[in-house]
Amino acid sequence: MRPLDLTTVERAAETAPSWLADLRQNGFEYFEKLSMPTGAEEEWRYVDLDFELTDFGIPDVAGVPLSGDSVLSALTDYAGIARLIDGFVVDLFCDVPGVTLLNAAGQAADDSLLEQSLGLMISPNLDIFAAAHQAFATDGLLLHVDRGVAVDRPIIIDMQVTQADTISFPHLSVVLDTNAEASVVVVMRSQNGQRNVVVPHLELSVGDGARLNLVTSQHWGDTTTAVTHQKMVLGRDSTGRLGEVGLGAKLGRLDLNVDLIGNGSSSELVGLYFGDDRQVFDYRVVINHHGKNTRSDVFLKGAVEDEAESVFSGLLKIWPDATRTSTFETNRNLVLSDGAKAHSVPNLEILCDDVVCGHGSTVGPLEEEHMYYLMSRGLSRERAQRVLIRGFFDEMIQRLPVSGLEEPVRDAVSAKFVTAQAEGRV
Amino acid sequence: MSKLALDINNLEASVGTIEILKGVNLEVPFGEVHALMGPNGSGKSTLCHVLTGRSDYTVAGEALIDGESLLDKAVDVRSRMGLMQAFQYPVEVPGVGLAVFMRESGEERGWTADEIEARIMEAGDQYDMDRFLERSVNNDLSGGEKKRSEVFQMAVLNPKVAVLDEIDSGLDIDAVREVAEGIERMRGPEVGVLMITHYSRILRYVTPDRIHVMMDGRIVESGGPELSARLEDEGYEGIRERLGIEAPAEGKAEKRPSDFFTETPFDV
Repeated sequence: MRPLDLTTVERAAETAPSWLADLRQNGFEYFEKLSMPTGAEEEWRYVDLDFELTDFGIPDVAGVPLSGDSVLSALTDYAGIARLIDGFVVDLFCDVPGVTLLNAAGQAADDSLLEQSLGLMISPNLDIFAAAHQAFATDGLLLHVDRGVAVDRPIIIDMQVTQADTISFPHLSVVLDTNAEASVVVVMRSQNGQRNVVVPHLELSVGDGARLNLVTSQHWGDTTTAVTHQKMVLGRDSTGRLGEVGLGAKLGRLDLNVDLIGNGSSSELVGLYFGDDRQVFDYRVVINHHGKNTRSDVFLKGAVEDEAESVFSGLLKIWPDATRTSTFETNRNLVLSDGAKAHSVPNLEILCDDVVCGHGSTVGPLEEEHMYYLMSRGLSRERAQRVLIRGFFDEMIQRLPVSGLEEPVRDAVSAKFVTAQAEGRV
Repeated sequence: MSKLALDINNLEASVGTIEILKGVNLEVPFGEVHALMGPNGSGKSTLCHVLTGRSDYTVAGEALIDGESLLDKAVDVRSRMGLMQAFQYPVEVPGVGLAVFMRESGEERGWTADEIEARIMEAGDQYDMDRFLERSVNNDLSGGEKKRSEVFQMAVLNPKVAVLDEIDSGLDIDAVREVAEGIERMRGPEVGVLMITHYSRILRYVTPDRIHVMMDGRIVESGGPELSARLEDEGYEGIRERLGIEAPAEGKAEKRPSDFFTETPFDV
């Protein structure tokens, strides 16, 4: 393993093209300046970071791949697949003309496509995790879809962490050229019981008239701390539909930033999360409306049981020139045990007239009225709870922007509750 | 099988210190349809919820379903014993499909998958609910469709006692007729039906075997179908005077907003 220090950056620079070495150097400067966030900062107040990044080492090579995964095995019909293990791209396959899958550590490292697309959207001064990612990422994957090319089947990114005591930096950049169309599923996973940190970056650039559908499915192991930065930039009349499934991690944080730059662009985020044990899910969503006539919709549903905690903080920001914007955010939370907590903070910042906005959020137990109705038809209390939980999440599952994931996600969500119920935890 | 589908003896119910039911006695034999009528606030809906098992009430007395004691059972057990209430305001349950809901209910009753599907199919046909089966329970349904869904659920679950709370309120005349036809279809030797209404409109389409009038938490008068005509003549005030029942202390001046929807002045 390599330490998070200057020698690691310098050694990496020896074999890297100059643009990549510069990027890393820049990241390292921020890494040195920034410190671990504390609960005193509003952005991090619900998160207990009881470690330093330097407690962990960067893997030298990719570890042994994990065995099968329920979400992955449900997606049998795909256009391409890439495996990112411990931050290294190990497998690349795509045979669709007009679609390029490239990685920075591969032979094409000096490819200008990489130089133009990798590591430019997420700023290293965001936080120490982002800085570390830019300084120490061992590889980077680029998915590029040429102008006008529509990929009819999803492209799968299997993101794994396999080694204990490591910190890794999987990187995915998706670039859709003008009028291109693609669907991407990112599966994030690691083993239970292996303490590690992972800092994935997802940079999504959606060109004019392009359409991106992307689902991230987080089911990291129970001792993995995952701090994900995701940024999407939308061109004129483009559409970016994001789905987020949060099921596993010790701490799963998603810092998602969407910039609706082009006039007429639209974005959607549909998400669900379910925390148990002492899991923490921390969702930080910022939607920036810059272009005119832009639309966005954020709809997340979550549940927490045992002593799990969830945070949704959603800011819809409408910049001065973004006239005729329409934007909505909804966050619904079920709190299923006395020890569990859900925080929901929807926010609007409107610097422009002529907009339509709305937000709503709820936090509470299953509704007694619903329970009463279901039980009045003979469903036992336990069955009524299960039916309501499934129904609660089904609304989100059906709206995920890539199809084919419904069954495994439904099963995973159900299993979490059924297990807790069987063990008398809810 | 007992002769009586529903047998209520001296049933009392209160919320906090407010007594709502003050000793209700009522018998509905198998094979019969009874109507329970009464003004707003007389305790009709409370009776429904006390039977179904809503937890808001302190209850005393006895209620039997086919001879089996009801009030000591949980809500779901009562349903599986054969009690089913069609609600006045059925709640919307987002994300739970109507067919899924019925399957879960059937499974809980130990029915086979084939049996459940057959019942859903048949009742779906009968009540023209096919297009609602995959939709969330009561979601975005009109008032009439919700009531139809309630009656459909009864047809699937086949209760021994069907209690229909204000099944005709908020419905236009065609929907009332439709629901009434549904109730007539339900009539049979293995079920007792208690329909609650506070005006007689629906009785043009359903002929009850007995009509009971409830006031101030008691059944004050019972009779055959002819009682309906008399009610139309006298009104509840008339009955009150004839039987010498005092108006409730809190008076009738205080109306809830919902009363404006459930009371249709042009209806007799």
